[in-house]
Amino acid sequence: MKSYDVVVNHKGFINLGIIDNILHQLKTFLFHKDHEKLLRKRVYSLSVECLDNILKHSDLNEQHHELIKSYPPRFIIEKIAGDFIIHTGNIVFNKNMNELILKLEKLNNLDLEDINALYKKSLANAEISEKGGAGLGLIVMAKTTRQKIKFDFEKINNEFSYFAMQLNLKK
Amino acid sequence: MKGFNIPAKEKTPQVLFDTNKYLFEIKGISRPENVRDFYFPLIYKIKKYFENIIEKNQEEIFKDECFKFNFKLDYFNSSSAKFISDILVVIKELSEKGLNLKIYWYFTDGDEDMKEVGEDFSDMISVPFNFIMIES
Repeated sequence: MKSYDVVVNHKGFINLGIIDNILHQLKTFLFHKDHEKLLRKRVYSLSVECLDNILKHSDLNEQHHELIKSYPPRFIIEKIAGDFIIHTGNIVFNKNMNELILKLEKLNNLDLEDINALYKKSLANAEISEKGGAGLGLIVMAKTTRQKIKFDFEKINNEFSYFAMQLNLKK
Repeated sequence: MKGFNIPAKEKTPQVLFDTNKYLFEIKGISRPENVRDFYFPLIYKIKKYFENIIEKNQEEIFKDECFKFNFKLDYFNSSSAKFISDILVVIKELSEKGLNLKIYWYFTDGDEDMKEVGEDFSDMISVPFNFIMIES
C-alpha cells in the first residue's frame, strides 16, 4: 500500500449530486484499500459532515457567481502513512465569522469527556434549521477526530471571508 | 391504527412500525436530503398510536409482551441524530406514562463508535438500552 494518497480532490461548486459522487468515490477507495471498519466509518462520517457544512453554510447564491469562481469550495482528503487529513474551504459572511471562531476555539479547548458531554447537551437542545442542519456537525468532527481542528479565515472583502479548515484523523 | 413500512433507499433507512408484532425497527443508513420531511411524519404517527392507547386506557395490552424498538443503524449524520434522539425522548415519555416499551440498540462487532453513541443516547434520556452486538 502506498504511504501517500490523494483520496479526494474536489475544487469547485458543490450541490447534492456532487456530494453523492464524492462520497461514492470515497467509499470505493475505502473498501478497495482494505481499511478497518471503524476507520472507514470515521472518514466517511467526517466527510458527510464537512460536505453538509459546505452546502448548508456557504453563504452564497447565484448572484455571487464571480466570487465562487475566484474562491471555489474545496474538499480534499489525503492519506499519509495511514492517517487521514481532510481539508475544506468555503466562503462565509464576515458577520458569521466570530460565532464560528468562538465555536471552534471552545471545542479545541475541551477534552474528549467534555466534548461528549457537550454533544449530549447539544443533541437534547438542538433545533433543526430551515436548511436542515442541527448545529452538531463541528461537535461530531471534534468527537470523531479527537484532535484539535485547525482553521483560518482569509478576508475577501467587507462582506465575505474564505474559511479553511483541516481535520486530522489518526489511524 | 395501522403501522407503516418505509423501504430503505440509498440515503434513508428502512423504518418499520408493525402494531401487530409490537415492533418498531429502523435499519440502515440515514442522511436524508430533507431530514425534517423524512422524520416528522413518522414521529407523529408513532406518538399518535401510543397516545391513542393511553387515551383508551389500554396500556395493559403490552403487559405480557413489550413493544420493542430496534435501532439497527449502520450510519447516521448529525441531523438524523437529532431526530433519533427525538424518537428516544418520545419512548421515554411514553414509558413514564406506564407503557411497557423496550429499546434494543444494535452495533456491528468492531464498530465501537455506534455502541458509544447508543450509550450517549441512553445516558441522555436516562433509560437503559439493551445492547446487541452483531458479528461482522
